[in-house]
Amino acid sequence: MAAPTQDLPPKGGYEAINFKRIPARTLFSGGQMFAGFSLMTAVAGYLYFRTYKKIRIEEVEMRSATLALEPLLLAERDREFLKQLRKNREEEEKLMAGVEGWEVGKHYGEPIYKTVPSDRFIDPTVQEYYAHGPTSSFTRHSLFSLWS
Amino acid sequence: MAAHFAPTFRTPMTDLTGGIMTHQSFTKCADFEMRAMECLEAYGVHVGRSKCQDYLDDLRECMFQTKQLARVNAMRQERHRQWIMGERSSENHYAPAARIDGY
Repeated sequence: MAAPTQDLPPKGGYEAINFKRIPARTLFSGGQMFAGFSLMTAVAGYLYFRTYKKIRIEEVEMRSATLALEPLLLAERDREFLKQLRKNREEEEKLMAGVEGWEVGKHYGEPIYKTVPSDRFIDPTVQEYYAHGPTSSFTRHSLFSLWS
Repeated sequence: MAAHFAPTFRTPMTDLTGGIMTHQSFTKCADFEMRAMECLEAYGVHVGRSKCQDYLDDLRECMFQTKQLARVNAMRQERHRQWIMGERSSENHYAPAARIDGY
C-alpha cells in the first residue's frame, strides 16, 4: 500500500480573502437629495397651480353657459310636448271618426274624471304620448328613460 | 282601499304612521285623495261607500289610470283593425313617431 496522501494547503498558505465592503458610488449626498426634491416640488407646484387657475376659470364659464341655456332647453322640451299632444288629439279625431260612441278625449263617451271640469288638462301617460306611433318608438323611449 | 280607512284602535303609533303611505306628498292624486277622504269623513265609511262613489272612482282612476290605458288600447286596436281590413295603407299604419325627449 502506498503512503496515504493528505489534502494539505499549498506551500505558503492561501491568499488572503478580501472581505472588505465595497460601498456604492454616491452621486448625491443626503442634503443634496432633499434640496433637489424641494426644488422639483416647488417648480412642479408652481406650474400645477397656474394650470389649476386656468381650469377653474374654464369651469366657471362652462357652468355659466349651462345655466344660461337651461331655461331655453326646458322651454323647447315643453313646447315639443304640447305640440305632440295636439298632434295626438288630431290623430285620434281622424282615427276614431268611424267608431260609434267615441268622443275625442273620452273613453266611449264617459269622461276620464267625473268630478273635475271637463276642460281640465289631464297629464298623459307614457303610453298615451306614444299611442299613435309605432311600437318601436315607445320601446325606445322606455329603454332611454330606464337606462339614463 | 284598506289603507285609506281608519285603524280599529287609535294609538300614538297609528297617529305617527298614518300619514306615511298616502298620496299627499305632491303627487297628482293629492287633491283627488283629499276630496275622497273628506267625503268619507263626512258620511262615514259605510254610507260613504255609496255616496262618495264618484270621488273614490276618480281617485282610483288617478292612481291606476285604467281609463286612459283603456283608451290607448281601444285606439290601437281600431288602428290595427283598419289596417287589416284595408281601410288604412301600410305607410299610414302608424302616425309619425313622437320625439323621445319630449315626454
